[in-house]
Amino acid sequence: MMKEDFKLNDIPKRNVYKVPENYFDRLPMRVMEQTAAQEEATVSINSAKWWRLGRIAIAPLMLLLLFVCVYFYNNNREAEQKDTFAIQQIPAQDIVEYLDTYATLEAADFENLSVSHKGLAAEFLNVSPTSAEEELEYYTLDESNL
Amino acid sequence: MEDKELLEKFAHPESRNLAFNQLVRKYQQKVYWQIRKMVIDHDDADDLTQEVFFKVWKNLENFRQDAQLYTWIYRIATNECLNFLSSKRRKFFLPLNDVAAELAEKIDSSPDITGDEIQLKLQKALLRLPDKQRLVFNMKYYDDMKYEEISEILGTSVGALKASYHLAVKKIEEFIKYH
Repeated sequence: MMKEDFKLNDIPKRNVYKVPENYFDRLPMRVMEQTAAQEEATVSINSAKWWRLGRIAIAPLMLLLLFVCVYFYNNNREAEQKDTFAIQQIPAQDIVEYLDTYATLEAADFENLSVSHKGLAAEFLNVSPTSAEEELEYYTLDESNL
Repeated sequence: MEDKELLEKFAHPESRNLAFNQLVRKYQQKVYWQIRKMVIDHDDADDLTQEVFFKVWKNLENFRQDAQLYTWIYRIATNECLNFLSSKRRKFFLPLNDVAAELAEKIDSSPDITGDEIQLKLQKALLRLPDKQRLVFNMKYYDDMKYEEISEILGTSVGALKASYHLAVKKIEEFIKYH
């Protein structure tokens, strides 16, 4: 059977819920205490977490560092070997022609040449050993050349 | 103390605790009652209220002052309530009506809840509404909030809120009529 119509406005607005005595007087202090405690817990959890993570990460990091070092060491060696190999491929005549065109040689450069390369110096200067000796007779030696 | 002044004091480390204490005193009742009407049980409401203020503490520095402080706090409280109720359902694998039945049982048995028969019937009728609709009803009916304010908190259009409130009133009237 249909009951009579009911309207929400017929009910007086009232709060039916109760709180313990002095609840709202104590709540701010409890909130402050809990905030401080949680903040402290968060900080200690975070630092413990980072410390734990750090300890776990140290081994892979060292391994990674080792790989990086080995990689760069090998790369450098390969590059050096390539340079040496490339220079070895250039014919001696080309080097001599290059130096003849672009290089300015000084007396100190000849001091660095080993005995086995004396022939190369003569060839490079394009003078006979006799002419060179004659030239040297007029060359004045000072202390810096000795 | 005005919200602007509270926020200014909160920004300074030496007056931070004092400002936060005053903020809690200013808004604790609004937050608590909003939560209590949703979760019914005092202990749950107490835990959630503290959690809300902890989140306020953590995020107040990032609060953008283009919104009202209370609207922002209300939004945090709303999210806490909705998350609490949905996790309660997930935890116990309970459908909506079983959670409503559990909360209705608390209304009947808790010494912290008083009122005449029609008042208690109204509370039970409210428990039959979906959570978000119940929130809208509480904000409009009990807190006399404007639809624009509710819209800012819940991120729902004013039109949808009006429709939701009127539908809630109809459902409540129907429930009380037949129970």
